[in-house]
Amino acid sequence: MEATARKTFLGIPVDAWMYGLLFVGTVLTTIDFVLAFFVAPLVIGAGAGGTAVINGVAVSNQLLFSQKIFYFHVPVAISSFLVFFFTAYYGVRFLMTKDKKYDTKARIATEVTLLFVVLTLVTGDIWTRFEWGAWWVWEPRLTTYFIMTLLVIAYFVLRNSIEDEERRATYGAVFGIIAFLDAPISFAITRLIPSSVHPVVLRTGGGLTGVQLASFLMGMFGMLMIAWVVFQFRQREEFARERLDAAKAALEG
Amino acid sequence: MSSWRQFAAILRKDIVMELRTKEMLTSMGLYAFLVLLIYYLAVSQANGGFNVGYIAAGLLWLAIVFTSLLGLNRSLVHEKDQGCLDALLLSPIDRPVIFFGKAVGNLLFLLIVEVLVVPMFYFLFLLKTGLVGPVWMLALALLVGSIGIAGMGTMLATMSVNTKGKDFILAVLFVPIMFPLLYAVVAASTAVVMGDAVFFGEWAKQYWQSLGLAAGYDSIMLLAAYGLYEFIIGA
Repeated sequence: MEATARKTFLGIPVDAWMYGLLFVGTVLTTIDFVLAFFVAPLVIGAGAGGTAVINGVAVSNQLLFSQKIFYFHVPVAISSFLVFFFTAYYGVRFLMTKDKKYDTKARIATEVTLLFVVLTLVTGDIWTRFEWGAWWVWEPRLTTYFIMTLLVIAYFVLRNSIEDEERRATYGAVFGIIAFLDAPISFAITRLIPSSVHPVVLRTGGGLTGVQLASFLMGMFGMLMIAWVVFQFRQREEFARERLDAAKAALEG
Repeated sequence: MSSWRQFAAILRKDIVMELRTKEMLTSMGLYAFLVLLIYYLAVSQANGGFNVGYIAAGLLWLAIVFTSLLGLNRSLVHEKDQGCLDALLLSPIDRPVIFFGKAVGNLLFLLIVEVLVVPMFYFLFLLKTGLVGPVWMLALALLVGSIGIAGMGTMLATMSVNTKGKDFILAVLFVPIMFPLLYAVVAASTAVVMGDAVFFGEWAKQYWQSLGLAAGYDSIMLLAAYGLYEFIIGA
């Protein structure tokens, strides 16, 4: 068992970078939140009291505040998709090299994707309640996220049902690649072919003013940092556990 | 042996085996008929004014999906149980050729079952309303969808047959992956069945657009399956 070298980046240990990024990411996201609630104006045309009529549905102003979820929903959604890309990427690397560590990375990336996809679904649910007065709408984005959830769950179900390690890794990699290809196709097709059940009426006059945009972008970067850090921490936990198992096996053998 | 002859050999093996036992076709056909009976159960208490044509295309594709899940699983379980897959791997056949051979075989069986079931479905549910568009349009939509189902289904079934929960895993993998294709072909089929009642004056344009998207899905995913198949079958 060899001692693991402390990796450094620009002279500072990577661990320190991770904690630093986590701090910065959390701070940015929190600032985004605070600005969203206290500084950014309510959606255009809405008053602070009473209700507003949106698409023929009376939405109380408590729910108008749920428009603020937008500042959380979009960063989380984009992060989930980015991390899902890494599932496919590490899958490709595994198939190319047959190196087990890529399989571990792909699995962790999928776990992080699952986390962010669930967050996206929940926040998106609140968002649709605000936009269309309904708790669930078979709208292209929500439908695509539903499919993504199913794909990620299918990935784990597939992995759990295979005993052999190499086969599990190979099948996981292949399915990860196909699933990542499927998600944008699903989005494109559901957007291009309108569903005649729920005609999607977009609310006009919604835009982002300067303050809103600034806080939104901050939240975006903050969330991406958090996603990256969650992935890194989880990865380190997994590799440490593997080293521990290897050490135990070496002691017993 | 050239690739073409390899492909023809695998295809002929599947067809000959099926002609001898007729097991897959009869079970798939019977299953599809049972699904039609369940459909009658589902719509039997609907209002008298209920026009089943609105969901007819969806019901039809649902029957095809369930039937193909059954058929795909069976076609690869045989291979595995009788050691045929190992024999194929030992012989100097290119892996992608195995994929095409099995996929085309599954496509053929699926099309035969559809030829039996679609007229039955029409006879049971659509006699009153009829089709707005010509029959060949519906046939084309069925063909494009079946190609995607057979191709991706073969690849997913090759994976699922090596797992612990065979049918279940196939269904879990199959539905999310096939969702875009099914969505597009249901739209195309509904355009043919219902026409302007659903698509407000330009059902033909919607039909061709949906069919184009379905064909796009087929091309992309089948290319991916072709590239990835040798990893699956070797593992």
